[in-house]
Amino acid sequence: MSLIASFEWSFIWENRGVFLDGLWETLKVSAIGVVGAFGVGVVLGAARAHRVPVVSQLAAVYVEVIRNTPILVQVFFVYFGLSEPPFNIRLPAFTAAWLMLVIWGGAFSTENFRAGFEAVPYRYREAGRALGFGRLTTFLNVTLPIGGRIALPSSINTSISVLKNSALIGPAISLPELTYQAYSLESVSFRATEIYFTLALIYLAVVWVLSGLIRALEARLALPEARRVRTRRQQRFQEAV
Amino acid sequence: MPDWAGPVVRYIIETGLPFTLKIAGASVVGSAVIGIVLGTLLTIRFLPLRSLIRLYIEVWRGLPLIVTLFLIVYALPQTTFHLTFQPWVGAAIGLTLWGSAQVAEATRGAVESIPREQHEAASALGFGWLGRHVFIVLPQAGRRLLPPLVSLLVNVIQNTTLASLVGVTEILFAAKQQVERLAAPPPAGLLQQHGFAIYGAVLVFFFVISFPLTRLAAYLERRLV
Repeated sequence: MSLIASFEWSFIWENRGVFLDGLWETLKVSAIGVVGAFGVGVVLGAARAHRVPVVSQLAAVYVEVIRNTPILVQVFFVYFGLSEPPFNIRLPAFTAAWLMLVIWGGAFSTENFRAGFEAVPYRYREAGRALGFGRLTTFLNVTLPIGGRIALPSSINTSISVLKNSALIGPAISLPELTYQAYSLESVSFRATEIYFTLALIYLAVVWVLSGLIRALEARLALPEARRVRTRRQQRFQEAV
Repeated sequence: MPDWAGPVVRYIIETGLPFTLKIAGASVVGSAVIGIVLGTLLTIRFLPLRSLIRLYIEVWRGLPLIVTLFLIVYALPQTTFHLTFQPWVGAAIGLTLWGSAQVAEATRGAVESIPREQHEAASALGFGWLGRHVFIVLPQAGRRLLPPLVSLLVNVIQNTTLASLVGVTEILFAAKQQVERLAAPPPAGLLQQHGFAIYGAVLVFFFVISFPLTRLAAYLERRLV
């Protein structure tokens, strides 16, 4: 194997602390991003699905702007653009990173939850109202548990994308998460091959393990009728798309 | 427009835009061709082939795109193969790996969603595997594939901005250079900060390209499926 003959794996082991610190920072910022995105998604998704005036239209604009512009440009715009006069808002890198992840993931989450809530049959909501629930109580007891579970598979894809997007925010604004740590280590040691292969392996491990865990959770939470109604073939197509 | 804007816009269009277009063009075509072939092959029940393609898809879809770009642009030249590309070629290769994995997954789903009877009818009419797929299955699967393909096109165009992080002077990098130039003291710059306006303009640029395509994808999805 001449490909790996020049590798010095001991170098990676000696610098394991750098990778572990980076991984911890990545997990922290992604966790905040995922939770925040879920929150934004549930609230704005509900506003969209129930056609709450003004909020619904504003949410639609927000979703379209975020989905149709590159996240890296959004990061530059917010992080560098807002630091200038007249705004003079200098966000710490960590705050900027999770804020951007929440804003970005929130837009995709809003779409996921809107679709989920809209898929709840209207008669369920009517039944809730007939039982004397108010609008909010109906939402919390009827629409959210059913629609939220319908929206689950797509929200999960969004969450994993949030984690992967933390990798490009790091180098863009010098946040010491996993990718930026690896990048900095490479710029002082020039061992690009070892460092970036290790980096790739860590990301694959994290993404694959998380996908597996989440899929198991999803199987537990899926609506029983969703399992029955959708044929295997439809389901595979929808997962793929 | 203010005085400083003219040279900035000219620089971004003359230097940045060609790289963005080259990367986007190459990776859109590459992703579509490689992805459709791999996705179709993935429906064949032959385990070694399946596992290889599955591995390809899971790896390039699982890695953050920026890590793929670092691997190709920085790590590959150091292996004993000494593969060195111009940075924009490396970026296009990285985007193609990522995009083709997405297309392959979507193609597999679309091909598998064509009912078995269509395959059987084609076989009964004497089509072999290749003829059956080229003339019967793929044209039908294509209708289902078109909306995700358009969305993917949008994603690839947006992700060309990641090339700025591996040193390609595409639109975002060109914009960054101009922001930094204007912030420098004279004679090079003006000691002025225009990042908000310049990055804002880049946002608008991408929105103007992406929004109609996103609408088109949504329209196709309603019409074709």
